Amino acid sequence: MLDAFLAGAHQVFAFDTLIYMLIGSVAGIVAAAIPGFTVTMAIILTLPLTFAMDPLQGVSVMLSVYVGGYTGGLISAALLGIPGTPSSVATTFDAYPMARGGEPGRALSLGVWSSFFGTIISTIILIVAAPPLALIAVKLGPWEYFSLIVFALTIVASLVGNSLMRGLIAGVIGLGLATVGPDPMMGRPRLTFDSDILMPGLPFLIVLIGIFAISQLMGEVEDDGKSETKGALIPDVIEFKTWAVMREVLMHPVNLIRSSLIGVFIGALPGAGGSIANLLAYDQAKRSSKTPEEFGKGTPDGVIASEAGNSATAGGGLIPMIALGIPGSAVDAILMAALMVHGISVGPRLIMDNADLAYGMFIAMIVASLMMLVVCVLSMRLFLRVTDIPKQFIVPTVMICCVIGAFALNNRVTDLYLLGAIGLVGYGLKSLDYPLAPLVLGVILGPIAETNLRRALMSDGDWTVFFTRPISAVLLAAALLSVIFSIRSVLKMRKKNRAVTDEQDGD
Amino acid sequence: MTNGTEKSAAAGADASAASRARAEFARLISYIVFGLGSVYLSVRASALPTSRWEPLGAGSFPKLVFAVLAVLCLISAVRTVIDLRKTGHLSGLGAALAEWLKVRRFAFALFGLLVIYLGVLPYAGFSLATFVFLLITQLMIAGISKKTVIQSLIAALIFSVGLNLLFAEVFNVFLPRGVLFAG
Repeated sequence: MLDAFLAGAHQVFAFDTLIYMLIGSVAGIVAAAIPGFTVTMAIILTLPLTFAMDPLQGVSVMLSVYVGGYTGGLISAALLGIPGTPSSVATTFDAYPMARGGEPGRALSLGVWSSFFGTIISTIILIVAAPPLALIAVKLGPWEYFSLIVFALTIVASLVGNSLMRGLIAGVIGLGLATVGPDPMMGRPRLTFDSDILMPGLPFLIVLIGIFAISQLMGEVEDDGKSETKGALIPDVIEFKTWAVMREVLMHPVNLIRSSLIGVFIGALPGAGGSIANLLAYDQAKRSSKTPEEFGKGTPDGVIASEAGNSATAGGGLIPMIALGIPGSAVDAILMAALMVHGISVGPRLIMDNADLAYGMFIAMIVASLMMLVVCVLSMRLFLRVTDIPKQFIVPTVMICCVIGAFALNNRVTDLYLLGAIGLVGYGLKSLDYPLAPLVLGVILGPIAETNLRRALMSDGDWTVFFTRPISAVLLAAALLSVIFSIRSVLKMRKKNRAVTDEQDGD
Repeated sequence: MTNGTEKSAAAGADASAASRARAEFARLISYIVFGLGSVYLSVRASALPTSRWEPLGAGSFPKLVFAVLAVLCLISAVRTVIDLRKTGHLSGLGAALAEWLKVRRFAFALFGLLVIYLGVLPYAGFSLATFVFLLITQLMIAGISKKTVIQSLIAALIFSVGLNLLFAEVFNVFLPRGVLFAG
């Protein structure tokens, strides 16, 4: 194990890797600071740049973008009151009032330090939890694996978006898209309609770029008639008080650790990412605070909880990816796909077969969070300028980067046509309020689910085995429960809404 | 005064209920489209030959997936129809669609340009096609003035020729070269 650890460290601490990671950190922070651009997008854009690198080097760079991205959203959240990414919504609740109250530097430093400690705590849990989980996971048979994926998809569908049904439909559409092309066991072409474009199947990354990035970019140029409100003016002098704030953050250990644990847990659940952890950690901090009335007015506890919560999902999301080969979020799915592009099979055997890579990723997480810290402390002011870059430069340029990413994957021009078509579908789905994350996870989990299902039935053609093997049965029951619970909460919410409207009508 | 506020609040609630109903209607169409599509694909998948080596052939999993999708769409569609009948008013669909398209005109224009760009890319080569695409889209979003034209020209040049050089020289990723113009 120590060998692998040192081998990983050796690769991560190579000079060129560190330089690339530094650029990645800056890029992540910059991208996330631009309102409307998510961490996922930043990672998608990084992807083609890593094709020419070693696997670990590439993943390290992507991790630094990831970690930087979770922090970058803080900047516009605190200073402009606009969450730079969906995962910093709760950050605006307290960081913005604090910044408006004359302490923008304190708000930013609090956020940066909380993000840093959140990432570190989550990485420690990742290092401790992933290897034993992988040891258990290799013992799982195809029955358990299939049930695990069913569970993962129902969880995603019930956690993301506004409607369970649309979440499930999106997830199943993803599974369906994954069946186009050669089948994963025998290579027989399916549903290709004899078209050259569909013959190789729908590459996961093309679907991902089309669904997330192209649709997002098209959404950016929608014009709802409202003129853009210019954000609050950024004060000329910002006092960061870096070290005093570090002590301040460490003075709230309970909040910090609780929020990080929430982040890790939420991150480890498939599909639920920073945006949920951010809100949940904030909510929990408020509930257990002695002064809940201070929340929303610029209390440091609110900033610490929200930022530690969203940053900790980075480590949490890697737990199921490294240990089980099931990505915790769209970003983890991209990391997984990046490894697959390099010919590394991701799954429970990753830690055993490519130990240096797995341990290298742990080290890269820590290095990335240190870099994020240094970059933020040294040059936070500069990043604020980024929010001023007009849309007309960002949208087309990012679109070109998406096209390059899609092309560089296989050097196939036909992939670009797929990209366009999928982008339009993604935009349509987004306009109709379908959540997109389940679809993307469906596409990456589809072949895994199918292979395991067919393997399971190949060794024993009996369907009931899925319910008689204990772990598989528990997972399927959990999947059913997650659906039932989310239906129940929807019904409750409806009742409540109806009661409120009735009351209003009665007035 | 109070009366007026109430009236406008009621009108607002009416309008939002109507817009919700229209959104539901749009979704209903999507359920029907996905549902019919999945039934068709499910049938196509069952036509795939079964394997002699395993109980499930290549076709079973897609058949299962699309069948589940069809059922989900059916349930959603039925629920939406019930909801719509309950809440009633589905007025002004045409006007709403026109408004919807108007709000998104730049989005669709951007997409149209992307399609043209992707179509031209293999013939014109990355640098040239990208330069033109960037220039047009930037000016479309920003509007044409002396300042934006100069800015857009510079940005388009950097991100077309510059990106091509960066990828080719630094990352060894070679972007499409044109038939007409090798750049």
